[in-house]
Amino acid sequence: MNYFCESLWAIFVKDIVTEFRSKQVLPTMVVLGMLIVWVLRIVSQAASPSTAVIGPAALWIAFLFSGLLAQERSFATEEQEDCIAGLLLAPVDPGTIYIAKLFANIVMLCVFEVVVVPVAFLTFQLSVAGRWIQFLTVLLLGNIGISSVGTLFSAMVQLSRARGALLSVLVLVVLMPMMIPATFALLLLFGAAPEALAGTATLAFVGNFKTAVGFLIAFNAVYTVACWLLFGFVVRE
Amino acid sequence: MSKAAQNNHSDEPVITITSVSRAFGLRPVLKNIDLHIGRAQGVCICGVNGAGKSTLLRIIAGLLKPARGSVKLCGLDVNSEPEKTRSQLGVILHKSMIYPDLTIFENLLFFAKLYGVKDGHARVKELLENIGLSPYRYDRAGVLSRGMLQRLAIARAMVHRPTVLLADEPFTGLDVEARRHFISVLGKFRADGGTFVMTTHDAAMAIRCCDRVVVLDKNRLIFDCETSRIDTDRFTENYLSYARNQD
Repeated sequence: MNYFCESLWAIFVKDIVTEFRSKQVLPTMVVLGMLIVWVLRIVSQAASPSTAVIGPAALWIAFLFSGLLAQERSFATEEQEDCIAGLLLAPVDPGTIYIAKLFANIVMLCVFEVVVVPVAFLTFQLSVAGRWIQFLTVLLLGNIGISSVGTLFSAMVQLSRARGALLSVLVLVVLMPMMIPATFALLLLFGAAPEALAGTATLAFVGNFKTAVGFLIAFNAVYTVACWLLFGFVVRE
Repeated sequence: MSKAAQNNHSDEPVITITSVSRAFGLRPVLKNIDLHIGRAQGVCICGVNGAGKSTLLRIIAGLLKPARGSVKLCGLDVNSEPEKTRSQLGVILHKSMIYPDLTIFENLLFFAKLYGVKDGHARVKELLENIGLSPYRYDRAGVLSRGMLQRLAIARAMVHRPTVLLADEPFTGLDVEARRHFISVLGKFRADGGTFVMTTHDAAMAIRCCDRVVVLDKNRLIFDCETSRIDTDRFTENYLSYARNQD
């Protein structure tokens, strides 16, 4: 257990230090996030719908695409000098490498959100009416979901040398079910949807905020465990 | 293949390769390779490009799985007991496996932690003194010259005091001084009881560094002989022709 924690911490710290030194992905993430928020704000002005409706969409699109950048980078650095071989040659379980990379990607997304969320709040004049804990919980759960799938697929894409657009195609398809409760939860927090929905519409199956968070937790548990188990097969031959 | 070479090795094989075959797609890369390497031996795998040297080394390291056959390290199968075997192995590949954005010290400390080295700081300081990179320990690895990077790659491979060192073309791109340094590191490693396997095209270097040479040709192991029994001039002139004629 001690060795697991030490090796996990070593890989996590290495990833964070490497990224903050190279400054390759965080500035790009922030610029992309700002651009998405700004473009959707302009669109919402032209179409005149409620900003509380467009706000959650802008946030999740920004998190998804900027997250993809961070996740792609996390294995691109390992490919640079065949460092992935260095990791795989060490007596570390591949699952430990996955968890450490997952934590690093979650932290990167959190840092990104610290910058982009206030901008989105100002741009769209959003308000959560004091429900900050619920809001941060939804964001964190979204981060975990996006990063868990993104970390696994990033390894697959980078190590198979497929690169490029394949990562976004794979990740977005797998994350689609999770984005429904995630979007609903933010719509509800911003006051753009009623406290409870019924019927057969796409969002209605989520029902209410508690169910949405329940779905997010369930998706995260399934994604994280499945990706953790599959990671060994992906990085090893 | 010289039977004497097989028989004269140290009693207990450290590396046992049994009937290993491997293909990439439909193209066979290794066919039925058998090799036993004893403790404190230095073995060089020679062969032309595409002969399967690097593939064999990667299979020994556990980075590739053989399609058939098995590889044992100190009696343990590298594929079924990977964690135990990897802690015995130090590996130097074509690329350095060094993070360019970390400093030299951080790189070594990171790998020391991955291998669970006790008192990693002291071990890293000791290694940096040995390889002469101590004055540069706070420099980022990305700014190092090829020779210095290779020294760092060697230190990385040795950080956990492995019993077996695998090196894939370790002399490529090195100047005379860096080569001399690597040969001295190898000498010390073997003097301490370490087993060493390297691949190279350079027959002269193979004879100089190792006490046994094996030659791969057309995916098969065609030659296995102790360097003391080899006609050095003829071997260095054209090792492939020499190996084919000895078979």
